Amino acid sequence: MSNEFPELFARWDTFSSAVWFRSKAGRYRLEGTQCTACGEKFFPPRTGLICPNCQQRAMQPYACAQTGSIAAAALDDIGFPATGYETYLPRCMVIIRLDDGIHIMSELSDVSDPAEVQPGARVRMVLRKHKREDTGAWVYGYRFVLDPAA
Amino acid sequence: MGKISRRVMMVAGAITPPFAPMNWTWRQLVAEVFWNSLQQIGAKAREIDMVAAAYNDRTIVDSSIGPQMADALGVLPKPVVMVSSACAGQGVAAYTAWNAIASGRCDLALVLGFARSDNYDAMEAMSSLGNYVDYDYMLGLTHLNYGQVRDAYYKRKYGVTIEDAARWAYQCHWYAQRNPLAATYGKPMPLLEELMADTEEAERDRQATNRGGVASCILLAGEDVADRYTDRPVQFDVAYAYRPPYIGNFFNYPVDGMREYDLGELPGLKIAAEEAYALAGITPQQINVAQIHDLTAYEGMMAVEALGICPIGQCKDYILQGGMTLQSACPVNTYGGGVAFGHGSAGSDFVAGVLENYWQLRGECGERQVTNAQIGVSTAYGSHHSLDVCGIVQRRW
Repeated sequence: MSNEFPELFARWDTFSSAVWFRSKAGRYRLEGTQCTACGEKFFPPRTGLICPNCQQRAMQPYACAQTGSIAAAALDDIGFPATGYETYLPRCMVIIRLDDGIHIMSELSDVSDPAEVQPGARVRMVLRKHKREDTGAWVYGYRFVLDPAA
Repeated sequence: MGKISRRVMMVAGAITPPFAPMNWTWRQLVAEVFWNSLQQIGAKAREIDMVAAAYNDRTIVDSSIGPQMADALGVLPKPVVMVSSACAGQGVAAYTAWNAIASGRCDLALVLGFARSDNYDAMEAMSSLGNYVDYDYMLGLTHLNYGQVRDAYYKRKYGVTIEDAARWAYQCHWYAQRNPLAATYGKPMPLLEELMADTEEAERDRQATNRGGVASCILLAGEDVADRYTDRPVQFDVAYAYRPPYIGNFFNYPVDGMREYDLGELPGLKIAAEEAYALAGITPQQINVAQIHDLTAYEGMMAVEALGICPIGQCKDYILQGGMTLQSACPVNTYGGGVAFGHGSAGSDFVAGVLENYWQLRGECGERQVTNAQIGVSTAYGSHHSLDVCGIVQRRW
């Protein structure tokens, strides 16, 4: 925090480093969970939670597939970007069906022409720098890039 | 489902006009609509047995709203159950009050909601609502982005076009021009050709209009005491259902009634509607008028399909055949919808539709009146359809 503002000031969405710590396996390497009782796979991870399929409580870490194809795509061009992303517009938002059947929402990086982002296009996960938080820390997390060979 | 002791009647209700004065506090907003409703039935505040209220205002401290609300309304020491369920909050509050009446514990209950969204930077605050915050919001994927990909998926899956969305929005604007409570009332009516343009400006006209600060309420009573308050009570039933909070889990979610659907349908609303229809003892074919909470035209279409008013994927044809108009067997969005009546979040998104149906059944809607309406359905959703509410009103006089 800048010395310009010695008093604490409230920002309702100031991030908690504890939250970041807890979610890093998912954000960095797409780690989800799998139910050891019925085999159902989940992302985001359901660590310690009850399986909606078999109602057991037996989740273990699961490495989600890091390749997949686009199920839906939309350009974020309506003018209300997320805080910290104002300089990256327009962003390409996608729903991706991973090769193990899990669906996730993400952003497609390195897109030169949004017209080439079509449902069915192959993609792979990459780890990218996202934004700088007001604590000074850089936020890292998954994104996807187009990769016909994936 | 457990045993229900008696039917629940709606006996009054009110909503603030759009863009309530900036100098009004949220307490003034809720007192305004509560007072208005009390005048309709000639009752005093303390006659209320309980309040269930929803809110969307991040400048107040969540844990202390109940006593503040009870004090502001003059109902203290009566209980106030506070609900925070995004834009569907009033629906959940209505569910709570309905249970209190139907069980016989309470005779008269208030369902209330308010949003003072102009108290904070709305877009920043709204960014997180409804998303799975650890993995979406924190990675810069917003509330609006959820809607964008959902609409893109629905359009592709069912061959829905911008022209279809424009027709939906046009009909909403047409009704809003005839509803003095609508946010767009009295403003220039967009042309259908303008709404069909593939431009950012046209896209905004096809989406929800902000209502600013808003509050609205309905009063519910047991059927055996309703005639103390009105000679034209309306039976009210409500149900709601959840879907996973993470949008990726809209695909293949391993729960009955969910797995066979994906981002192109609203199974939560379908489940809620089926329960509400069962409570009301009706079928979708009996519905005379429908009010849909639609923040985009596409999700409005999805909701009409989930209600069973038309088959899934075919709302575009329903619109083309005049299904939304007053000449239809079930006109849609006579209040103007989120598109043109305006989006009020927890302050009005559910109750606005209920009130419109209430007035339709009572024949009080002027130029937008549906002939001989007997049964009306209304919807609201929160958190991008991870929560869907369905309300039914039926004429009982």
